[in-house]
Amino acid sequence: MREMINMVVVLTLLSVFSGGLLAAVRTGTKDKIEQQVLKFQKAPAIKQILSDVSNDPLQDRFKIMDNDQELTFFVGKHDGKADAITFETSGKGFSGDIGLMVGINIESDEIIGVCVTTHSETPGLGSKAKDDPKFVSQFAGMAIDKNFAIKKNGGEIDVMSGATVTSVGVSLAAQKAQEIYKRLKPEIEKQTAQLAN
Amino acid sequence: MGDYFVLAISCIFVNNILLAQFLGNCPFLGTSKKMETATGMAMAVVFVLVLAGVITWITDTYLLKPLNIEFLRTLSFILIIASLVQFVEMFLKKSMPALYAGLGIFLPLITTNCAVMGVCLININEEYTFMQSVVSSFSYAVGFGLALVLFAGIRERIIIARVPKPLQDTSIGLVTAGMIALSFFAFKGMV
Amino acid sequence: MAQSMVKEFTKGLWAELPPFRLVLGLCPVLAVTKSVENGIGMGIATTFVLVCSNLLVSLLRNIIPAKVRIACFIVIIATFVTVVELVMQAYTYPLFLKLGIFIPLIVVNCIVLGRAEAFASKNSPIFAIADGLGMGIGFTLSLGALGAVRECFGNGTILGNPVFGSDFQPFTFMVEAPGAFVCLGLMLCLMNLIGKK
Repeated sequence: MREMINMVVVLTLLSVFSGGLLAAVRTGTKDKIEQQVLKFQKAPAIKQILSDVSNDPLQDRFKIMDNDQELTFFVGKHDGKADAITFETSGKGFSGDIGLMVGINIESDEIIGVCVTTHSETPGLGSKAKDDPKFVSQFAGMAIDKNFAIKKNGGEIDVMSGATVTSVGVSLAAQKAQEIYKRLKPEIEKQTAQLAN
Repeated sequence: MGDYFVLAISCIFVNNILLAQFLGNCPFLGTSKKMETATGMAMAVVFVLVLAGVITWITDTYLLKPLNIEFLRTLSFILIIASLVQFVEMFLKKSMPALYAGLGIFLPLITTNCAVMGVCLININEEYTFMQSVVSSFSYAVGFGLALVLFAGIRERIIIARVPKPLQDTSIGLVTAGMIALSFFAFKGMV
Repeated sequence: MAQSMVKEFTKGLWAELPPFRLVLGLCPVLAVTKSVENGIGMGIATTFVLVCSNLLVSLLRNIIPAKVRIACFIVIIATFVTVVELVMQAYTYPLFLKLGIFIPLIVVNCIVLGRAEAFASKNSPIFAIADGLGMGIGFTLSLGALGAVRECFGNGTILGNPVFGSDFQPFTFMVEAPGAFVCLGLMLCLMNLIGKK
């Protein structure tokens, strides 16, 4: 019996210690982590797409609940007018998901540009999606109601040679962005207008 | 239904837990010298992995996420797995002695098998639904078993072969594993 | 005293060099050694957990009841792993992304639990630290060496610096899964060869 009590006491104390320590570390690092996620995952892509804006899109952001998913939109201003947004979607690539940041001009409904954020594609082949400017620049300037599928599937996107699956992944992510944008447009416009004021 | 099939194929072959994701390599090398132990280990892993996948998914979705304490995930998952293994061991000993005799010695080893913990974490990271988690846990475990049994078959033959001395045992085992991984590489891009 | 401490420290560097001699904790060894940076980062994270858990286990070795000792060790190890996870996320986010799932998986690394059970629970804190540090550094160096070989042939670089000149065709096999197994197998063979003499 004594042994039982001893075991329970030690285990409880240990758990309390561990819970306390973790909670403390968690509180200490929480804000830093959020910043890091923005800085390393999203910032380079956003900067590339919204290169000529007058504000900091990382600061001017809002969130919309889409079904169960929370999407973060980053707003860019040109000449004081908030007319550009970017958000991230994903598509299935050769090995795992490909993250794609998509920038859209909400006044003309045109794609400003897209940029691959995360991928785990084969080095030298699929990884070109990130480095090869020719492939992703195809999207820039296209109207939002164009077909973003690859040419073989009846769309307008040329595939990268040697990396068809990756190209399809990127095109899928772009199509997803298209759907989300069409579905959420009223909400996006409302939130953007609020931010601009 | 089709989606589950694709998921299963991808988990068994394309993203094979041992050969593409590098999880669970300790038992892979440790228990593959004899076909008998390899099949025993494979069965035990299937059994525990499915249970662990289900329980950790439920814990994460209905306990950790609502309470916003996801940072305790690592801690709670390992405790769940460790106690699950203990529980399964006791249960089998009492109610199914025949099965226990077969799997018994492998069960304690599973606690530190990173394949189990790894699959539970993958299920959460990939944001699988409940059914998807069940399918993926089962298929990853089958993939583990498949690779292990294949490997054990080859290793039994290698014992007969004359291998240069410094290459013997684990060393040649790893090179062989590399060759099997190379053949599994052909599945990449299939799904 | 000082002499035996040195002995506990150095055994981890050669005689019981973790991934090669003990053939334990192979998963991270194979998975994260695509580059030197990843390998060393993983090694340092593991070393931290190893030293902290060894210290705490050794301090508590007379309090922890024998029957629940494994459970206690697991709680202790998992706590420190989570600390590492949070700290890495906050300060070295890109590395954290690359190592991914293998950071939480330090918790099931057989080396950590193995040292707690085989050494720290039977020895005084100072020795436990020396043992943990030795094993950790041995592990880090091995990961770094394997990472160097794979990065060098697989990508033509070491720590991101090209070593072969511009017309070198990367031997992509080395950074993919099969290369990891073959490379580790051959290094083990090399160690056996040297050890013989």
